[in-house]
Order: sequence, then structure tokens, then C-alpha cells
Amino acid sequence: MLSVEALKIRYGEVEAVRRVDLTVGSGEIIALVGANGAGKSSTLGAVAGLVPAASGKVVFDGVDITGLAPEAIARKGVALVPEGRRIFASLTVADNLRLGGAVHQPAAEARLREEEMLELFPILRRYHRVKGGNLSGGEQQMLAIARALMGKPRMILLDEPSLGLAPQLIDTVFDLIAELRRKGLTILLVEQNVALALEIADRAVVLANGEVVLSGTAKELASSDLVRQAYLGA
Amino acid sequence: MIAQQIINAVSLGGVYALLALGLAIVFSIVGLINFAHGELMTLSGYALLASLVLGFPFPVAVLVAVSCGALAAVAMERIAFRPMRGASVTSLLLTSFAVSSLLKVVFQNGISARPQAVAMPGWMTGAFSFGDFTIGVGPSISIVVSALALIALEVFLRRSVTGTAMRAAAEDFDVVRLMGIPASRIIATAFLLSGLLAGLAAMLWVAQRASVDPLMGFTPVLKAFIAAVVGGLGSLPGAVAGGFLLGIIEVLLQATLPGAIAPYRDAIVLSGVIAVLLVRPQGLIPAVRAQRS
Repeated sequence: MLSVEALKIRYGEVEAVRRVDLTVGSGEIIALVGANGAGKSSTLGAVAGLVPAASGKVVFDGVDITGLAPEAIARKGVALVPEGRRIFASLTVADNLRLGGAVHQPAAEARLREEEMLELFPILRRYHRVKGGNLSGGEQQMLAIARALMGKPRMILLDEPSLGLAPQLIDTVFDLIAELRRKGLTILLVEQNVALALEIADRAVVLANGEVVLSGTAKELASSDLVRQAYLGA
Repeated sequence: MIAQQIINAVSLGGVYALLALGLAIVFSIVGLINFAHGELMTLSGYALLASLVLGFPFPVAVLVAVSCGALAAVAMERIAFRPMRGASVTSLLLTSFAVSSLLKVVFQNGISARPQAVAMPGWMTGAFSFGDFTIGVGPSISIVVSALALIALEVFLRRSVTGTAMRAAAEDFDVVRLMGIPASRIIATAFLLSGLLAGLAAMLWVAQRASVDPLMGFTPVLKAFIAAVVGGLGSLPGAVAGGFLLGIIEVLLQATLPGAIAPYRDAIVLSGVIAVLLVRPQGLIPAVRAQRS
């Protein structure tokens, strides 16, 4: 469904991503793991159109989307849940959700979709009229995911969904990710918590210094010596 | 007499509020302080003059003039600011100065450096009185128009999807784009609204003075800029509060200062502005912006 080919990203003189190749099949969860600064978020940013690629290609559903504006990529059915959640703090939960689904469907359909989201995230129904900035970190993460789902994406890019969350909340978020996958959503997951990511993913790609150093099924990687030593602390 | 002064104060404050709001809307979305905002006002003034000279009925002429302000703002963005998208704040500021100077010269050389009289309908300069009070028609209309414009804008920003997206974009523009909402639509709407507000302000300004000149927009927009800073740059409620505050203080000082001190009115007002900013550097009602590393 998605393929990233020889992606290179530069910020001025700094090469954040040297070369990343990866593919995500329909209905798969692919984990993109690695240390801080390995180029994971930059790669997601390039797929979503927020970060320009210096060279290489991003192909979604057979269409080259490299260099398209973020809004154009979003309309093709790719939704990014950015690192740090970035919900609109001064807008109510309802308005955050409304914007998420505004351009992807007629208004009546968007209302149905919102109702589905409120079923999936009961906490958001309780805080429907509350400003996003007043929610806790975990609630904001739920809102950020729900907002991305409002547009009925076919693929969702999750950037560090566990960051800064309490352990029980992390479990809740990962249960949710597993449920979304069961519903057929394709997921590209960036995660620093490698153990957790390998538990949920089908396949994983390990980045270090802007390059792919290892890739394979999640099971293979979980038992590989490199991953065990470098990321799982075993 | 006091009632008349209060009406004048609120009416001037309303004009400043409309202008400050126009500056704040654009600033909140694209980070540009548009110093050519005053020329949008001047342009609307000339459009009113031209429509009246062409013999349009007064309401039609006003409609044409306000629309001209709005369209000119959108054109300004397309021609001058869009190519500069992503440029530094300083470059944007210089661009807006360039547009402002250019338009002033066009008005001076193309029309006339001297003020042109605008034939406002007679009823506008009238007054109505009840009991001991005499209240000017012009200032009263000005208050009503400002209030209606503020309410309409509030409803648009709260209820419509584009308005909600604009409030969101003031906080975090990139994420709005991730929702699939086109950046160009948000920016064009911001300029359209600012031009609309400048056009309305121009009508109220001309109604009080019955003339247009190439530098007409300079002073009110400078005042509006001060109002926007006092209110909290980029904050819409702040712009409105700052506008009314500034208008009211100006008129009150005008009415109460003894003759010998009256020439120092602006100095006194600006000292007040400095005092406010020393206590509240972010303005009276600071803008909300995403805090990101």
C-alpha cells in the first residue's frame, strides 16, 4: 500500500535521513523503531508531506505522492497523528473532531463518523464541550487518534503514541491500535518503546543514524541479538 | 454632552477595533503585520467616491466599496505575499511596507495628492435628540455597524468549518493541513476578512470626514496596530478590547484635557501603552499558540 524508496531528508547541512526503504502492505502494522534522532519522525513527516524529501520517492497506492502538500496527501487517505499529539488546545473536543473529518465527507456523514468515534472513545463523549488543552496527556492522545480517524483514512501514521503516558494508559493506547488493525486499518507506527512495538507489529524496520540497519518480521527482530542488546536491554 | 462624548468614544473605538481585528486575523494565521492594511482602507474610500461619482445609489456604492477592499486584500496576498510564503517575519514586514508605499504613490499620482470630497447623504451628518440629549446619526451608525460586524465575525469563526479551521490554524497551521484543509483556503479567507473589515472601517471613517486622500489609512491603521499590540498581537478578543480601549481613552482625553496639555494627547496615550506592556508584555488578552520545541 505504501512504499518508501531511497528516501533522503536534509535539514540544511544535516542529513537526518540518509536512506530509508520500506514497504507497508494493506492491513499490516509496521513498526519503525530506533534511538532518538535515528530519523523515524522525519521519515513519517516526509510520508505525510510535512517534511520535504531531498531525494527518493514515496508511493501510496501506486501513486507517487513525493512532494505533494500535506493537505493533498491527507485527502488521499493518509493520516498522521503527530508526535506530542498537537491537538488544538483552544478548541473544544467537538471542534477538534469536526476539523478532522471536515473535508473528507459530507456533513451528515461526518456527524455519523463522530458518533462512531465517541463510541470508540467514551472519554471524548464525556469531555465533548471541554477545550482540548484541558484534557490529560492520555485523553489528548485519544483525541489526536480520534481526530485522525474522523477522515476515514486508509492508512494511519502514529508518531510515538506512548510518549509521556502512564503505563496503564500506554496499554490502553496499544489495545486500541490492535483493535484498529483488526478493523482493517493499515498502520505505520514509530515507537521508542521497542518491546511494545514488536509485540503489536507484523514487521519492523530498525533505523540508526538515518539508515535502515535491520528489518524483518517482528518475531525475528525480537529474537535477533542486535535488537535484544541495543533496544530490549537483554 | 457626556452622552455625546461616550457615543463618540465608542464609535471611534469600534473603527479601531475593526481595523485591529483585520490586522490580528492575518497576523494570527501567517505571522505578517500587514502595514498595507491602511491602503486597503484608502482604496475602499476611493471606490466609494468613484461609485458615487458614477451615480450609483448610496447603498450600492457602499457595497461596491467594501467588496473592493475585500477583493484587494485577496489580490494583495496572491500577488505580493504568496511568493513570500515561509519567508522570515522581517521579509514579510518589508514586503508589506513596499506594497503600502507603492499604493500610496499610485493614489497620489493616479488620482490626486489632495483630499477629494465625498458626497455623503445629508441624513448622515444629522442628529437626533431625545430629552436633553443630542446624538449624531453618523457615530450611532458607526457603533451599530461595528457591533454587527463583530457579531457576524464571531459567529463565522465559531460556527463554520472554515472559521473553526482558522482558529485552529492560528494555533498550529501544519496540523490543520494534516486534516486535509488547504492552506491557501485558510490564508485567502484571512485576507478576505481583513479586507472586508478594512472596507467597513473605511466607510465609517469617510462618513465622519466626507473626504478621501491618499494617506487616509495611515493614522487609523497605526492606531489599530497599537490597539492590537496592547490587546495581545494575534489575539482576536485582544484586538477588539485594545481597539475600544484606545478609542475611548483618546476621546476622553480630548474632552477632558485642558487646552495647554491637549497637544500631548497622543504622547499620553502612548505612555499608557508602554505602561500596559511593561505589566503585561503579551498584551491584555494574549494569543494562544502551540508551545513546541
